Amino acid sequence: MKSKPHSLMSLSAVQRYGLAVLSVSLALCGALLLERFEFHSVEVPLFLFAVALSAWYGGPGAAVVALVLSCLVFDYYFVPPLHTLYISREDLPYFIIFATFASLVTWFSSVRHRVERELGKRTAELEAVNKELEAFAYSVSHDLRAPLRHMSGFTELLRKNSASALNEKSQRYVKMILESANRMGLLIDDLLSFSRIGRAETHKTMFSLDQLVQEVLAEARQETEGRNITWKIARLPSWYGDRPMLRMALVNLISNALKFTRTRSQPEIEVGCTDEQDQVIVFVRDNGVGFDMKYVDKLFGVFQRLHTTEAFEGTGIGLATVQRIVIRHGGRVWAEGQVDQGATFYISLSKSQGV
Amino acid sequence: MSTLGRILMVEDDPKDVELSLTALEEYNLANEVVVARDGEEALDYLYKRGKFAERLNGNPAVLLLDLKLPKVNGLEVLQKIRSDEKLKMIPVVVLTSSHEEKDMVASYKLGVNAYVVKPVDFHEFVNAIRELGVFWAIINQPPPGSMRKN
Repeated sequence: MKSKPHSLMSLSAVQRYGLAVLSVSLALCGALLLERFEFHSVEVPLFLFAVALSAWYGGPGAAVVALVLSCLVFDYYFVPPLHTLYISREDLPYFIIFATFASLVTWFSSVRHRVERELGKRTAELEAVNKELEAFAYSVSHDLRAPLRHMSGFTELLRKNSASALNEKSQRYVKMILESANRMGLLIDDLLSFSRIGRAETHKTMFSLDQLVQEVLAEARQETEGRNITWKIARLPSWYGDRPMLRMALVNLISNALKFTRTRSQPEIEVGCTDEQDQVIVFVRDNGVGFDMKYVDKLFGVFQRLHTTEAFEGTGIGLATVQRIVIRHGGRVWAEGQVDQGATFYISLSKSQGV
Repeated sequence: MSTLGRILMVEDDPKDVELSLTALEEYNLANEVVVARDGEEALDYLYKRGKFAERLNGNPAVLLLDLKLPKVNGLEVLQKIRSDEKLKMIPVVVLTSSHEEKDMVASYKLGVNAYVVKPVDFHEFVNAIRELGVFWAIINQPPPGSMRKN
């Protein structure tokens, strides 16, 4: 557990009460010394400081000792009649205010210590859970894949070796087994890469968004040869963040735009940005099949889909991935759309973060 | 290309072994495969111990190594091979289900020659195994000391 070197645990009882006595003694020495040089009324802040010090490093017990000692010493050396422990009636409120103030300081510091302890405990718990999750993802990646490969492998061999023995219906069953096995493979892969985004460390740099979009488009164009797509790409600013991750986010948005405009004869895809005071908003807009705004909350959920697999392929992890990446950058992602009127996806990243 | 190198396949899953052998059969490479079912057996083979005490001399032309194995895991086998003067030149290909970067990095740090993730798709899997077999057992010139069959 990472804690301050001077935590309560690291001091023994003797040390803690010793600290209280020592800090009050030092305060007294300081006050007497200053009084000799004609500085008056500095005693109270000095004793308060001694109490605060004892509370912070020695805990409530030490603070009470320091408080009582401070009151006694203050009364003895600085309150007339000097060198007696007599407290006159008119001095009483003075002492009460001092005691109240010192108690307040003690209380604050003990709360602060408790919060710190609690935080340390929570952090340790969180780390343990994270480790467990990592082990889980690891075993998923290892162990879930093998049976899948066997299912699809041996089904494939069955089809190859006994194609003539199987009637049409049976051949269809074989085909469906294969399709399901493949789909499960895709789901596992997507789920794993999704969980990896949560675990991977981000390496943030400043990079040109123009260049990134050009890269993504060059890749996309290879896959869309023969489709008559109108691209509208605005000039884009620089972005600050983990380049590979944000690239993945953009690839997801653009390939979504390509996918959901497939039924259009004149597909149009626009990548643009609006520059606001402290944030850059990048959007990807298409004129594809769109979506109903009443399902907007479901868009970014893991494995949530608004279309059937027959209509548009996919596992339903793309937008969840986008959201996770953007949230890891402290940004925001949202969408607007209308059925059959296209959709727009926005990512906003703060300009100032970390720069 | 008349010579074939021996392939040592270290794989605990019998189904994976069968699929791999099916893939290699097409190029008549299946006969050249020795299967070890865990890391210990693999080391027994390499050191001519236990049930492999009687085998012919020479190292395999390539070792196809799974990472998750009973008893001695793949990375431990790899480490052992790379730290032994007589074995360190054997080409080792990690063949695993793991996409995990830490496995890949650990393997390369230990000096693996290739890292192949077993494809889930059967056709891709067969292709991958076949290409590995052809490359390492036929095309590649194995280091001196490897077993060869004319």
